[in-house]
Amino acid sequence: MIARRVRYEIVSRAIGPMLVAMERWRRRGRRSGRGGRPFGPPLESTRMLKELTTLHYLAGRFADGAVPVAWVTAGFPVEVLRPLGFHTVYPENHGAICSVKRMVPELSEAVEREGYSRDLCGYARADLGSVATGKTPVGRLPRPDLLCCCTNICQTVLYWYRALAAHFRVPLVIIDAPFVYGEARPHLLAYVADQLRELTETAERVAGRKVDRAALVETTRLAREGSRLWDECLRAACARPSPWTGFDSFFHLAPIVAMRGTPECNAYYRMLRDELNDRVARGVGGIANERVRLLWDNLPIWFNLRGLSTVLAENGFNIVCTTYANAWAESGSMIDPADPEGSAARAYVNVLLNRDLPHKLSAMKRLCREYGATGAIFHSDRSCKPYSIGQIDLMGRLASEGGVKGLLLEADHADPRSWSEAQAYNRLHAFMELFDERMVQG
Amino acid sequence: MMRDATIAARKKLGHKTVVVLPVHYPRELFTAMDVHTVELWGPPGPPRGPDAGRIQAYACAVVRNALAFLASGGADAADAVLFPHTCDSIQGLATLAPDFGGWGKPALRFLHPKGGDGPAARAFVRAELSLLADRLSELTGRPLALPRLAAAIGLHARIDRLRGDLLSRRAFLNLGDRDLYRLLRRGEFLAPEDHLAELALAARGLGEERVQRGVPLMVTGYVPEPMTLFDSLASAGAFVAADDYAAVGRRVPLSPPADGGDPLDTLAAKAFAMPPCPTRGGDQDVRMEYLETLYRRSGSAGLIVHVQKFCEPELFDVPAIRRRFARIGAPLLYLEGELEASLSGQVVTRLEAFAEMVDARRKAP
Repeated sequence: MIARRVRYEIVSRAIGPMLVAMERWRRRGRRSGRGGRPFGPPLESTRMLKELTTLHYLAGRFADGAVPVAWVTAGFPVEVLRPLGFHTVYPENHGAICSVKRMVPELSEAVEREGYSRDLCGYARADLGSVATGKTPVGRLPRPDLLCCCTNICQTVLYWYRALAAHFRVPLVIIDAPFVYGEARPHLLAYVADQLRELTETAERVAGRKVDRAALVETTRLAREGSRLWDECLRAACARPSPWTGFDSFFHLAPIVAMRGTPECNAYYRMLRDELNDRVARGVGGIANERVRLLWDNLPIWFNLRGLSTVLAENGFNIVCTTYANAWAESGSMIDPADPEGSAARAYVNVLLNRDLPHKLSAMKRLCREYGATGAIFHSDRSCKPYSIGQIDLMGRLASEGGVKGLLLEADHADPRSWSEAQAYNRLHAFMELFDERMVQG
Repeated sequence: MMRDATIAARKKLGHKTVVVLPVHYPRELFTAMDVHTVELWGPPGPPRGPDAGRIQAYACAVVRNALAFLASGGADAADAVLFPHTCDSIQGLATLAPDFGGWGKPALRFLHPKGGDGPAARAFVRAELSLLADRLSELTGRPLALPRLAAAIGLHARIDRLRGDLLSRRAFLNLGDRDLYRLLRRGEFLAPEDHLAELALAARGLGEERVQRGVPLMVTGYVPEPMTLFDSLASAGAFVAADDYAAVGRRVPLSPPADGGDPLDTLAAKAFAMPPCPTRGGDQDVRMEYLETLYRRSGSAGLIVHVQKFCEPELFDVPAIRRRFARIGAPLLYLEGELEASLSGQVVTRLEAFAEMVDARRKAP
């Protein structure tokens, strides 16, 4: 245990940063990421993002047996785990990486052979496939000591984590965040807050120590600040031209999802915010020639972001806001360090995906208004039912009540086998022509 | 008596009618407040109107058909709809239909907890029951009377006991599967007293002698649709010896409610005394243990896993079921449906072949 801990600390604090610094030196002078027409100059922060992510996954390889490890859903109130020293792994984030690396078909097929249906969530199939085969693009995932699942993003995570619990034979903590119709009622918030207290007991037992109240308050403060900083980054896109694209924001979302409540997360977003504001001041856009501004609804199509962003950018279309990335900024202001459990209950229950369709419609209208989006792409995500049910009506209402043209684009967030590129691009081109027609007519 | 006639009869008595989406809900509360419940499992067959197209084709037929049914006026005789917190899709329907069109009358929700049965979950169920009682009071114009709730709990406990007897002593009941399931599923819309009377009558057919001599099979899944499934099983010489359908067996509590005390507490406790159901969360191993016990106790010789396409709660458990039943050497047939009106010839052939294979295996020395 001590040897493992020493190795983990050395990797996290010395070897990892050294490798990252060497890589930085090797790449000096090269521009990071995508750049050149049809895009604007690449964001310098992207390098730091890669470094942060690399360090996180590198440390993870040596985490089990050294520190307590928790596998956590994206919407889980992670603040309580940080003061207990948990290394957190986000299988959804890992699923997204698997998708970008085009590993999902292979991983999914491995579990389809066990009887998992192809109709299930692409992240879940990627994760369970990675568990079954040991294959991952990040080297190795540490074995969990605790599984933490919150149903505020979907109930799929509940079924998925039950399967993980049966596989790993470790405790599973479920924070059941009942769906909110209208406003969250007091008994619902009390229920979630009570579960958070129950979670603390389990997490303390697994970690073998008690939560330090001051540390919890500090983590909560950092989480709130991180959420505010992320919001400021997103809001930079209100400028014309937007200094980045919504597709960029999908990648830069990783720290607020996986490192929320840490100083590293906030330091990163300060840097990103400053860079974005600098670009706004200099009139530098995320795409070279921004003509039409769009909203994106639902998860990214991870494996085809490059293709989609290119097609859109070539035609002067920029995704300036997304309901997905905004979800991590929307309710963060409810987090209150003076009341960690009660405020976490409010914040985590009120996330976009856990609220009714009138709320989603109103959030979309607000985003379109504030970011100046005149069109919306609704990713109809085959393997994410909670996000997708209601989209057809939302699209119609956003058009009739908000004057925002919509396109329903069917795909899967992780699995390219459910993607028909020619058909999708055809529809996308037809959608873009609508705007040119309107511009000519208008 | 069918659904329409039952609704008309209850209306004559001045009772309100609530249409209920699957799966788990506190029916006792409705009975206590003279509210007639009619469950809506689809309905099966093609969607009854164009509104099914408002939900993507990759969502399950239960919600697509339900939206089409509600929006086409199929449930206009009802006074409200109840949406239990069953899955993401029903949760989505619970805002889509009332908020964006398809259902203009009151929409009730029952948010049962997921996962464990700790103090937080128990307190939440209790609060949800109170809230639902308040909503029913608004609907009926009458407050909930606790003695009436206690009586309703007693009535439903008798119904549950009879349903449990008929299912657990299936091999001793001289009734075909089709007739048994028709009887059990009439509970989805009959008044409880009428359902109790029919069950009691059927229970008289329970003897000491084993009368079902066919191939005993266990079935697990969401809802037994299409019901022609049972005709096919019968013609293949098989019968359902154990049931784990969400619509049927999983709604019979494992233990009777405790007597005395606050009836709302008793009702809340019932929510935690039910067989494991993936729509409630809970430990997967516990469910697998339960299924194996049910299988062994019933003397089943094979398992049919009959799920609805796109039904995540059921689908996520399928690999664990496969593993568990492979480990004990139980033959398994996997069927995936979409609330079709009838089984395809291909599925019928698979059922027949499965029954034959299980029978041959059973008879092998």
